Amino acid sequence: MASRVQKKDDDESDFLFENLDKGQVIQEKRAFNESPIHPRKCSLVISQFLYLLSRGDSFTKTEATDIFFAATKLFQSKDIPLRRLMYLLLKELSTISQDAIIVISSLTKDMSHKIELYRANAIRILCKITDSSILPQIERYFKQSIVEKDPHVSSAALVSSIHLLKVCPEIVKRWANEVQEAISNKSNMVQYHALALLHRIKQHDRLAVSKLVSNLIKNSLRSPYAQSYLIRCCVEVIEETNTEDRIFREYIESCLRSKNEMVAYEAARSICTFKNVSNKEINSAVGVLQNFLNSTKPTLRFAAVRTLNKLAQTNPTAVIPCNLDMENLITDTNRSIATLAITTLLKVGNESNVERLIKQIANFLGDINDEFKIVVVDAITSLSQKFPKKYKHLIIFLNKILRDEGTLQLKQATLDAILTVVNNIPESKEIALTELCDYIEDCDFPDLSVQILHLIGQEGPLTSSPAQYMRYIYNRVLLDGGIIRAAAVTSIAKFGLLYEPMKEKVVILLQRCLLDEDDEVRDRATLYLKLFKENDVRYLNKVLMDDVPVPLNNLQKSLELYLHQGDFSEPFDIASVSTVVETYQSPLLGDGKSPFSTGASKKGDSVTGTPKSNNASNNNNNNEESSGPESFATKLSQIPQFSTFGKLLKSSEYIELTETETEYVVNCVKHIYREHIVFQFNCTNTLNEQQLSNVSVKMVPSDPKLLKYECSIPIDVLPYGEPQQCYVAIRYIPANGYPLCSFSNALKFKVKEVDPSTGELDEPGYDDQYSLERLEIVPKDFLNRAFVGNFSEEWKKMSEDTQLVQTFSLVGVKSIDEAVKQIIKTLGMAPAEKSEVVTPKSAKHILYLTGKSLNNQLIYVRARMKLDQSQTNTDVELTIKSDDESLNDFVISAFIEK
Amino acid sequence: MNFFESIINFFKSLFWKQEMELTLVGLQGSGKTTLVNVISNGGFIEDTIPTIGFNMKKVTKGNVTIKLWDIGGQPRFRSMWERYCRGVNAIVFVVDSADREKFEQSKQALQDLINKPPLAKIPLLVVANKNDLPNSAGVDEMIQNLDLRGIVGREVCCYSISAKNSVNIDITLDWLIKHSSSVKN
Repeated sequence: MASRVQKKDDDESDFLFENLDKGQVIQEKRAFNESPIHPRKCSLVISQFLYLLSRGDSFTKTEATDIFFAATKLFQSKDIPLRRLMYLLLKELSTISQDAIIVISSLTKDMSHKIELYRANAIRILCKITDSSILPQIERYFKQSIVEKDPHVSSAALVSSIHLLKVCPEIVKRWANEVQEAISNKSNMVQYHALALLHRIKQHDRLAVSKLVSNLIKNSLRSPYAQSYLIRCCVEVIEETNTEDRIFREYIESCLRSKNEMVAYEAARSICTFKNVSNKEINSAVGVLQNFLNSTKPTLRFAAVRTLNKLAQTNPTAVIPCNLDMENLITDTNRSIATLAITTLLKVGNESNVERLIKQIANFLGDINDEFKIVVVDAITSLSQKFPKKYKHLIIFLNKILRDEGTLQLKQATLDAILTVVNNIPESKEIALTELCDYIEDCDFPDLSVQILHLIGQEGPLTSSPAQYMRYIYNRVLLDGGIIRAAAVTSIAKFGLLYEPMKEKVVILLQRCLLDEDDEVRDRATLYLKLFKENDVRYLNKVLMDDVPVPLNNLQKSLELYLHQGDFSEPFDIASVSTVVETYQSPLLGDGKSPFSTGASKKGDSVTGTPKSNNASNNNNNNEESSGPESFATKLSQIPQFSTFGKLLKSSEYIELTETETEYVVNCVKHIYREHIVFQFNCTNTLNEQQLSNVSVKMVPSDPKLLKYECSIPIDVLPYGEPQQCYVAIRYIPANGYPLCSFSNALKFKVKEVDPSTGELDEPGYDDQYSLERLEIVPKDFLNRAFVGNFSEEWKKMSEDTQLVQTFSLVGVKSIDEAVKQIIKTLGMAPAEKSEVVTPKSAKHILYLTGKSLNNQLIYVRARMKLDQSQTNTDVELTIKSDDESLNDFVISAFIEK
Repeated sequence: MNFFESIINFFKSLFWKQEMELTLVGLQGSGKTTLVNVISNGGFIEDTIPTIGFNMKKVTKGNVTIKLWDIGGQPRFRSMWERYCRGVNAIVFVVDSADREKFEQSKQALQDLINKPPLAKIPLLVVANKNDLPNSAGVDEMIQNLDLRGIVGREVCCYSISAKNSVNIDITLDWLIKHSSSVKN
């Protein structure tokens, strides 16, 4: 062994255990069985085992058991360092090894050994291997150890008791008196541990906790750890009991003046988290944090700025006094501190100092790493929403990041940020485009170049002087790789289409591309050229301007499904593709959700909030489309009663019929067929002492003449926690109009009590019912989303004779943004021409929607809206165009009923 | 005279220092822990608590250091007896000679243990403890009940003792010390 160690030393690594092999070390364990024992040899082997364990090597049960039992032989040694290592090894292995209880007797003996080290270590192992059958037999040793004078033994016993509280709470609770005594131990550590244990023992008794806390407040604990813990207890008492008693708040305030920094910080942090806090309190807390900002200790600066960062979200004005100090921290050598300082400053910043702040960040941008830069970029993006007037500085700043050295990830984040700014602030377009044009002259990432060329093609022709961009784009055709050239060609063509004066020049440029060596570039140029020559504007529009109206991922999935099903009697309909966007960051909401995501609308969110209810567990936003019409259709077609209903035309979003925290959680999906409606009720039983059987929903329509009851499929057995579905089907005659009415609903079932311990059922049970919220059939249920290439053209083509114009007011809708969302939600149609994006703070807006009826008649809707003078309602003028006047009336009824 | 003797003993112990390792097993309540206490410090303690796991004691008798592994007798520990019996100088199997109902159980536990291959050839001492109690079984009865004559391939011996009254502890020790280095290496 010695020679091996020597050899290792000679190698480049000076670390003894680096190449340790588990099998080899396991062999070495025979040293434990030697007689007499060689402490140094055994110590080395144990150290190796401990190293392997901490390195994450795993030991099988047999291996661990063998090592464990071999190590128990070391109980005979009186060598203190070896014993200490033995304890550590036994502790680590005790949870893997079998029959670890074999050491209990030896350990209890060690608990009263004269050497403290033995006592403390023995306790720590015992706590790991004791169960509720053994603890009563060794209880008295624990009690003794808790009141020991030696802080290590006492602390070991207290901390172990905290763990044991999970194993057998009743027994540990009996030790409260001993723990109380330990609180007066001189050691800071013991005081802290004793308080923590006592608090946990009383945790479930609020009164006892508040009594304990108020007693200790008067006692004036000395240990700073215990004081910090007591502050947290005070916060708990204040928050849970809403006590009027001032002593808890006064204690925390008094701790602000503590000489100990930890205590003062804890007090300040607590005050910052209070829900209702007076200005005086928060000011003194912020004052303490402000002092820490200037501390020489990095931990203190970090803690303080982190707390202020959080506070800035809820109470930005309270943070303002620290602005100057935080500005100094921007140049802090610790970059975590600097990050927090900047993001805090940006949060509390105001119009006047934002500019200066950005300049300051720009100065030291070179010193920070990319990850941190992304944080800054994010902060800048949110700033653009707050201070749209500062767009110029923001764009220039972002562009600087774009041009500096950096990873693709950073560049992409920055480009996204620029796009967000451009989308939100139209005025920023030109400056952003100019800067980006400069950037692509020297851009290392083809991905980014392509995105930028796309943006220039889209927006460039609409600016005041489109011609200036052409040179930049054509440079790309001359200088860059195939992908970029192809994108550039498309971009050039867009100029020709959107900006008439340049058309001829565009044609010349496209001709030059005809001999390009890249297939894609040639193909594109040829196609565009032909269309330009034929002057087929309509088709050019379609080729150049139309985005795929659905997320590509969803389109791919739907296409795969279509191919997989193998039924090609009907052509693939793009409208059937789910439009719920997964990653598209809406510049409007900034929350990653598209404003028109029907399934994930507010109701959808509340579904995902209840883990137990129905499909909700797999119905979160990520795989929303899995519950789209396709998957419902397959599921429903397997139910014989519904098989004659024909094709499923539409499924609604989830509608909650109960509160989410009730005994039974029910939500509903409406499935619309040509002459039928199926109500699918997803029911969850949240009571573990009940089993429900024969569960059905009884629906009473408000207008029985409109529809006929068809059938009902109950749930046979609904055990606890497993969501299941029952169905009700009704029939309607489309010729007589859609059955717009509401239903009052009740869940009917038979209850059988279940003994939760044995799972036995209490026969025969009894009948019961549970009333549910009302459910409505609304026009939206019969409308689908549709997509058209060019809304304004289609709109012009539709005759004005049959159009329906209606004005009304959305009462209580205080912003255009909200109004847009509400209209989209009420009609369930697809927004066109990106008209769902609202300029922030604007007072009027025009929204375009397209949809179609269940028999595929197209419907176009234009909604002009304006905030009224009181700023509390929104006036809407709705114009509906379709080929069918009754359909127009039907669409407008979605609003009239309200 | 005494002085010389002790000096000679001292030197003898320097050169003749011997070590031995014993494992005590047997059903719960047969008196293993008590026997260990009696051997190590001669005292009898009335209320010994059941051993959860094992106790380890080192005793020096003359020039012999004896390591005693006293393993708990409850059923859950019996599977672990073997681990502590491997490589010892002798296995001491303790039986409560007054508790005749458990003889069969003792016999079974003993057979299970000594039939383990790693323990072949290790000398076995069966100690019929508690001979101070009325109606306790004698050595012959014990040999018959535990079927000791049927054990082959190792040295077997049986003594009737009382740990409480220190009866026959001396001859037990003598027998053990005699085996101090017989098997080991």
